[in-house]
Amino acid sequence: MQARKWAIVAAIYAVSGLLGAVALWGLTHLLSPVFRPATGVAFGLAIAASVVLWIGLIAVIHRLPAAVKKRIVVTATFVAGLFYVLEYYLPAKSAVFFWRAHHTNPFSPMIFTVGDAVSVIFGFTFFLAAFSLSLVHGKSIAARRPGYHNSIAFFVAFIMMAVFGLWETYSPDTTLIHHIGWIRRVTAHQVYDHLFNSMYVPLTATLFSVLSFYMATAAFRAFRIRSAEAAFMMVAAFFCMMGQVPLGMWLTHNLPLHGPLSHLRMEAMANWTLGVISMAGLRAVTFGVLVGGLAISLRIWLNLERGAFFEQEL
Amino acid sequence: MSTQHANALQAAIVAIIGVVILYMILSARGGRELFIRRIPGLAAIDEAVGRATEMGRPLLFSTGLVGVDIDTLQALAIAQYVSRLAARYGNRLIVPAVDPVIFAIAEQLVREAYTAEGKPEAFRSDDIRFLSSEQFPYAAGVMGIINRERVASTFFFGYFYAEALLLSETGQEVGAIQIAGTPATTQIPFFLASCDYTIIGDEFYAASAYLTREPTLLGSLVGQDIGKALLMLLVIIGTATAAPHLPLHVVSQWLARMLHPGG
Repeated sequence: MQARKWAIVAAIYAVSGLLGAVALWGLTHLLSPVFRPATGVAFGLAIAASVVLWIGLIAVIHRLPAAVKKRIVVTATFVAGLFYVLEYYLPAKSAVFFWRAHHTNPFSPMIFTVGDAVSVIFGFTFFLAAFSLSLVHGKSIAARRPGYHNSIAFFVAFIMMAVFGLWETYSPDTTLIHHIGWIRRVTAHQVYDHLFNSMYVPLTATLFSVLSFYMATAAFRAFRIRSAEAAFMMVAAFFCMMGQVPLGMWLTHNLPLHGPLSHLRMEAMANWTLGVISMAGLRAVTFGVLVGGLAISLRIWLNLERGAFFEQEL
Repeated sequence: MSTQHANALQAAIVAIIGVVILYMILSARGGRELFIRRIPGLAAIDEAVGRATEMGRPLLFSTGLVGVDIDTLQALAIAQYVSRLAARYGNRLIVPAVDPVIFAIAEQLVREAYTAEGKPEAFRSDDIRFLSSEQFPYAAGVMGIINRERVASTFFFGYFYAEALLLSETGQEVGAIQIAGTPATTQIPFFLASCDYTIIGDEFYAASAYLTREPTLLGSLVGQDIGKALLMLLVIIGTATAAPHLPLHVVSQWLARMLHPGG
């Protein structure tokens, strides 16, 4: 009885998948005359119409009962996943699967457009991020919490990067300062360049360089020979590190470059440890990660995921 | 620009593993008892939350540097468990987000956890904050939070890059108990060196099954193990027939050609 029930569920998924594929293909043919590249006023109208349409759609969805909202989410997830599954697992060209002229996969040309659409959706969340940051730092300044001067610095940096970033994109040669004292001419591009290359990049490089000191402290704390396995790891780490530096290579430079003894050269032992032993373990972990990723993707796609927020009412 | 497509063998492998996973899920839902071994890192989550509560210091949960992805969704599932514990013990949970969408999901998730535990007034919206979508600004923000708030327990679950060691070493400096889990193989050694408990590779994907003991998730986990066994079989066949002088060398060559990306 249970097997029959799940066979029916599988059949429903298969039929809805087939119908979904046909619907996706038909939708692209119906909508492609509408969504043509636009410029000028037509472009602005298209943007405005899209925003109004989406606001209306979200308002309607917001008013629906929770069960219906969840069904919409599940259906949209299935259709979206189905698009990528069909695009990847169906061949690029096949007379068996595709009956139109040239027998090419109809989903492949759409994949970049769909990716762009997803990027646009994520772009809307930028305002959410800016609002959240402004709220947190604004409260900090208002309440004069310890370190509120950092929140003032945040607003100064945020506004300056936003203003000069936009200025640099749309009018980089705009003159901001013209012959004041020893300053000849300062353009928007120069200010942005200074903010990004002279301030932001060195700051990130500084933080990246701290990593080397943290590696030393982590290694000093972790590499303690407390057991046989730890001793084995220490020896392997020693060979790997010595094989990367000129001093280590110098220790065995008298050994021949070819022949059996060449395998005892420090860099050869290091490369063998990293490229053979360590790589085998790394690939084994990667196998597990990829199969785990496949399982989670399947569960989310087919609405089988349980726990956390997947069973919550919307 | 052309896109890659799966060939017959690649599609067949994914289909077989997928069917096996689905079969085990259905089998578990049908009442079959499945065993999952103890994972020390996940078993230590309760201890870490309890320790932070005793010390009167908050918790910190980082979901990694990737946006909405299966790794981050899995991390959020673990975050929900941690937030329920934190709410139950009346402790603060700080969740710095790297992506605005993750920020929105995390805020809703933690708020509902506190509400479910009957302590909605204990939830502080300022504890769930978006920092930056850039790598080192995010790392700098999290390091600052760890130092200023003197967190007692840190949880690093998700996909991390070079900032992994920065975050975990900062946690070490404040004496926090640290639990990390990432599918990023390049960062596992750094977490192993600096965290108290590290969850490696597919143990990360097993976390939700381990914590909730949900039959669907347990069945999926067993299906994954069978899938990995099938892949191991392919590796053994390919390795055994790899020597050029063997008559079955063509099998190894065929497998290498078919399983190569774009093959």
